[in-house]
Amino acid sequence: MTHSNMNNSKPKSLSGDLGPIVHVSNLNLQYQYKLVLKNLNWTINRGENWLLGGISGSGKSSLAKVIAGLQNAVGEVEFNFNIDSALPAKVLFVESWYQFKNVEGVANFYYQQRYTSLQAKETLTVGAELISYSKENNLEFAEVEKLLKALNFSSLRNSQLLELSSGEHKKLQLIKALWLKPQLLIIDQPYTGLDKDSRKTLNSLLDEICADGVQLILICNDTELPASINCFAEIREGQLVQVESREMISTAPERTSRELPDFLKQSPVYSSENIVKMIDVSISYGEKMVLRNINWEVKAGEKWLLQGPNGSGKSTLLSLVNGDHPQSYANNFYLFGNKRGSGESIWDIKQHTGIISPEFHWYFDASSTVWQSVASGLFDSVGLFRQLPFSQKAKVDELIEFFDLTENKDDLLSSLPLGKQRLVLLARTIIKNPELLILDEPCQGLDQQQTQYFNQLVDELCNNGMTLIYVGHFESALPSCLEKRIVLENGEVKAIESIAESCLV
Amino acid sequence: MANYFNTLPLREKLNQLGVCEFMDNSEFSDGVNALKGKKLVIVGCGAQGLNQGLNLRDSGLDVSYALRKEAIDGKRDSWKNATENNFTVGTYEELIPNADVVINLTPDKQHTAVVNAVMPLMKQGATLSYSHGFNIVEEGMQIRKDITVIMVAPKCPGSEVRAEYCRGFGVPTLIAVHPENDPAGKGLAEAKAYCVGTGGHRAGVLLSSFVAEVKSDLMGEQTILCGLLQTGSILSFDKMIEKGIDAGYASKLVQYGVEVITEALKHGGVSGMMDRLSNVAKVKAFEVSEELKDIMRPLFQKHQDDIMSGEFSRTMMEDWANGDKNLLKWRAETGETAFEKTPAGDVKIGEQEYFDNYLLMVAFVRAGVELAFETMVEAGIKPESAYYESLHETPLIANTIARKKLFEMNRVISDTAEYGCYLFDQACKPLLTDFMKKVDTDLVGKNFNEGKDGSVDNITLVNINEKLRSHQVEIVGARLRKAMTAMKAIKTA
Ligand SMILES: NC(=O)c1ccc[n+]([C@@H]2O[C@H](COP(=O)([O-])OP(=O)(O)OC[C@H]3O[C@@H](n4cnc5c(N)ncnc54)[C@H](OP(=O)(O)O)[C@@H]3O)[C@@H](O)[C@H]2O)c1
Repeated sequence: MTHSNMNNSKPKSLSGDLGPIVHVSNLNLQYQYKLVLKNLNWTINRGENWLLGGISGSGKSSLAKVIAGLQNAVGEVEFNFNIDSALPAKVLFVESWYQFKNVEGVANFYYQQRYTSLQAKETLTVGAELISYSKENNLEFAEVEKLLKALNFSSLRNSQLLELSSGEHKKLQLIKALWLKPQLLIIDQPYTGLDKDSRKTLNSLLDEICADGVQLILICNDTELPASINCFAEIREGQLVQVESREMISTAPERTSRELPDFLKQSPVYSSENIVKMIDVSISYGEKMVLRNINWEVKAGEKWLLQGPNGSGKSTLLSLVNGDHPQSYANNFYLFGNKRGSGESIWDIKQHTGIISPEFHWYFDASSTVWQSVASGLFDSVGLFRQLPFSQKAKVDELIEFFDLTENKDDLLSSLPLGKQRLVLLARTIIKNPELLILDEPCQGLDQQQTQYFNQLVDELCNNGMTLIYVGHFESALPSCLEKRIVLENGEVKAIESIAESCLV
Repeated sequence: MANYFNTLPLREKLNQLGVCEFMDNSEFSDGVNALKGKKLVIVGCGAQGLNQGLNLRDSGLDVSYALRKEAIDGKRDSWKNATENNFTVGTYEELIPNADVVINLTPDKQHTAVVNAVMPLMKQGATLSYSHGFNIVEEGMQIRKDITVIMVAPKCPGSEVRAEYCRGFGVPTLIAVHPENDPAGKGLAEAKAYCVGTGGHRAGVLLSSFVAEVKSDLMGEQTILCGLLQTGSILSFDKMIEKGIDAGYASKLVQYGVEVITEALKHGGVSGMMDRLSNVAKVKAFEVSEELKDIMRPLFQKHQDDIMSGEFSRTMMEDWANGDKNLLKWRAETGETAFEKTPAGDVKIGEQEYFDNYLLMVAFVRAGVELAFETMVEAGIKPESAYYESLHETPLIANTIARKKLFEMNRVISDTAEYGCYLFDQACKPLLTDFMKKVDTDLVGKNFNEGKDGSVDNITLVNINEKLRSHQVEIVGARLRKAMTAMKAIKTA
């Protein structure tokens, strides 16, 4: 069987003889000139749990949004919920990117905000958010305790939403979905930002709710899935194509390798041998300590791997290195040979560094085009605010070409699939050929192939002697140039060691 | 203390009102050097204090906070904000004597007391900085002659000052040096460096004077920015209720409408906003706004006159002395209006619908922006200053209404603005009684275009477009927006 639209029979709506839960027919969706869905048909029968995979940009998330009623399209989506079931008769879509709001209902955040200590609380706490969710949906609070515990979330109850990392936000969204148990649950990229153990736990929790009657659609290309997944599909040329197994889902074509632009082959000019030097660095918010007595040195040209479970303090550590943390000033801490707070500005620091992180990406200017985003790297601004001289324009064009993004250069960054957005941000980060490249989970949300491609690029780029700090969860998905590792746990350094070649493969 | 402005001879009054120059980027090439290594001590750690301080420190400057003793002992929010972000905090006695620059960021109402406490502790030749000139101009505060007095006034709330800096940008800023207090001639260099330190130089800087800043700031906030938006919102809501429009819909249209409508100002000025309408609607909005301009002109002029003569600040300071009696009364009344008490309904209103169904607000905004601008320019304020204090700031204030209606707007703006806003609102509503009687739901609540064939007279339309586009606020605005590099929409939503 190839196409799933074989079943043309009308769904039966009687509760005794339940027809398919969703029947999608003749769906068409177009963005400007690009046809995304073309006469798409899909029937999801009782007992089916689907994996929707395939190459990025094929229309998976758009289809999910149409089914969830969050996106208009031409065609029909018919639901046939079981009115006798105790589960809410609805479809819930968990987006891959979740935008939370502040207490006034706006989402105008900036990346550095979460590090600033402010008495006036901008956002709700996790606890308050869950209480309002339980009221909204008539849920028993006791039920959520189990989920919080299973996903190691209990300790975050008093954290503000703004303080959560992207992985923690993901978990919160998943917890809400598992708590609600809608009859149809669609999750876009369920595993991004979760560490190994959390992924396993998630799978068994998903299996549990499936046993209770929830039907799933997961959108991802991950390999370790809940046992309940029993149907597999991808979108090809705007149509849904069912395949026999996960392995049969298409993967993106290999990228043809290109010559690195000349300006990136030149070794960065180091102003100091010492890139980072931290002596007993500690960071706390009120009573809460997030980093404790960190001692760490990074020398020019070294390639570091930074690891630790969710919430161990990795992104706070990196925010120090990137000059973004207000508490840098009271710590004994050197960047590029200068003590922090000795008269340098954060713009001086940023000139030497390039950073990508899920949070940085999250708060990036959604109204920038690809070209503007890349160019903004020259000034370390979030979005482009000035005119470029010709030589710099040429550099931007050259880099965009190198990353195969020329055809997208005038598109809004936010309109591209996640994998391409990451490449744009990587291009932005390296356009000034920085001394220090900080990549905080740069492959979060990318599939295996995209990850491999991305890491290959990192290896090529770092060949010129650039210093690298890389955060990644999975040993299998790392660039091969990494040579040293620092491991954090509960805000403390658990290990600093060199990596033997062998353990990276 | 005498009102400073009123002590000046006419020649000098005009001279100071007329200081206004859009500064070229090259003027800031010295960066923060004029303040490098100097001790900057900020008094007060509120909205402006904390955020300006974070920016200045991130720009490589040495910043600490002097707080009043009660705030330190009581570990108030201002103390926590400063200490938890790792700033040095101390009492006036501890920090002021060593300060090279004392930055006064306490509420305007407290300035006299604060400056009187701080000044005796300041060392010879130090600098005192403000973010608003009220104390110097309206209260006539006299500063020791060895002290340099400057102003660096960001034209945005403190949270935006920080957010835009962190994004690598800044907010438009006014700077000034008080001519009575620049003994060493270093004022301008320090103000420029300060402005670089807060990121203002990336977004456009206007060299102004204390006098011009205060007189234009007061005028703008009382009339178009807060006063008229409040009056227009309340009248529009009440009209819709009177005519049987669903209350939830009416509440939402008014709450979010001003923001959506004035967003268009940011990009294309008044004509950009009017261009969002169909031709028939534009003709109507134009006619209505002309009528509104005629009705409200005397009130705008009265406000400007009272500001110039010092009458406004005299009565407001009387109210201060009276325990804010009027302010509190008016604040309570605003909280009790039907609009304030009706929650926005759970209805979807499309972006264009806000224009088509809320023509009345488009007319109010055009009338208010043009009137405020014209009145300021007639009074001797330079068009560039008048532009900032009218058109430029309108969308920023409108955003606060969208957040939480008028109460939120009045909470965010300064006490001075709040007082002036109520004063205007009190006078403006009765003035518009007859006008409002004629208003029906085609102007507010329903789509104006409905049931019309959309045809207009060529000559009428050409004339209207010509009038709109050739208004001085449009010409100055287009130039300033271009000069503000790529005037990026200040992100607020
Ligand atoms: N808000 C704006 O949008 C804006 C824009 C441009 C310029 N400005 C100007 O910036 C200045 C500060 O405004 P703001 O909005 O930042 O004020 P704010 O948020 O109300 O902060 C005032 C600070 O001053 C302290 N303070 C209050 N009374 C004091 C007193 N008697 N003595 C010493 N300290 C006192 C307060 O701390 P404690 O009470 O804890 O001591 C608080 O930290 C004003 O001149 C204003 O005109 C404001």
